[in-house]
Amino acid sequence: MTFSLLHATDFADRLLYKIIPPLKAGMIVLADRYAYTAFARDATRGVDRQWVRELYSFAVRPDLALYFRVPIDVSVDRLMARRVKLKFYEAGMDLGWSTNPVESFRMFQGKVLDEYDHLVDEFGMDVVDARGSITEQQRTVRTLIAPFVQSRRADVAVGEITNDESV
Amino acid sequence: MTSPSNTPEAGEPGPNGSSVAGRYYGRSIPYLPIDDYPGKLIAVEGTDGVGRSTQIQLLREWLEVRGYGVIETGWTRSPLMQPTIELAKSSNTLNKLTFVLLYATDFADRLEKEIIPALKAGFIVLSDRYIFTALARAGVRGVDRQWLRNLYGFAIAPHMVFYLNIDVKTLIGRVLESRGMDFWESGMDLKHGDDIYDSFRTYQNKVLKEYASMGDEFHFRVVDARRSVDRIQDELRRQVAAFLEPVEKAPEPLLSVVKG
Repeated sequence: MTFSLLHATDFADRLLYKIIPPLKAGMIVLADRYAYTAFARDATRGVDRQWVRELYSFAVRPDLALYFRVPIDVSVDRLMARRVKLKFYEAGMDLGWSTNPVESFRMFQGKVLDEYDHLVDEFGMDVVDARGSITEQQRTVRTLIAPFVQSRRADVAVGEITNDESV
Repeated sequence: MTSPSNTPEAGEPGPNGSSVAGRYYGRSIPYLPIDDYPGKLIAVEGTDGVGRSTQIQLLREWLEVRGYGVIETGWTRSPLMQPTIELAKSSNTLNKLTFVLLYATDFADRLEKEIIPALKAGFIVLSDRYIFTALARAGVRGVDRQWLRNLYGFAIAPHMVFYLNIDVKTLIGRVLESRGMDFWESGMDLKHGDDIYDSFRTYQNKVLKEYASMGDEFHFRVVDARRSVDRIQDELRRQVAAFLEPVEKAPEPLLSVVKG
């Protein structure tokens, strides 16, 4: 519960300082992770699903939510290729499912991915196949984003597209 | 502000209406199912400076002498969150949501690590403030009431909630006599004005209204806190004794002098 609530606090802070002001100014906010991360992660940690959704009901619903779907094996391979040590919480080590970090990661993140699959339907997220090359994925992303950006250009002056830092 | 109402009759074991004492109010913590734990949770509520801590200290001594295991828990006292909350309060970046959520995190930590284990082990848990403090403060700051109640659904309904009721005028005297008015307790963040006295009065009036509005919903046992420390303590002990030992006949006058 404290894990969940601390993240929600952090989220609330960024929502009010970093997300809502640029939205009010007509900017585009790119959020690297959003409330969906909490829905998937907290549920996997055993927190009541409905409670987490109610907790985050103060969040702004995104115009577009992209989910980069990847099988757990690909995820593990990519991480292991560039990082020796998995982070304690990222691997779900706090749950005590396995003392082996890689094994724990596989079990924990495997369950997180299952949760995401439910979220895709529940919240109408757009799925990007993240097994492909970066170029392929980026093309897909641009195709998905284009309608939103174009419709904005019609009524917004050019040159206002700004990225927010990771969220 | 409603005038301090009469105290309820002692002797009621006080089942908490729709919510069952000792159980979760709303959506539970799934990984911490609660059985019929032997411990009892007693909350002492009331606004800043009303005299909660003094009463709890006296109550604790009395309970321990009678052979009960007692632990105390208090708002923002979790080892995990206390430094963070102090740090956050000292900067000016807290908004009403992060304020609420930091408090909730602190409460969740104490619930999981102190309150629930103690109830399981048969302790009497004396809580200096409970979720009603959070509901009152956030309510005054305009946070959605239903959202707050959902948020705190994981709280456990206390077996008894004592509400130390006071009027603003008496409160002001008491606070000024002791430690003076502080920034947050005066609601200076709400920017009612630069004058801390005026702000304190306005803010505490609103807080007291919020508390009063929760009385029925959460089955407050309203205690007139304008009286002397001993008189208040006598009443608390009478009610606690009646709850803990309902089969015994009403205990004799419990004490008149306890100051030590």
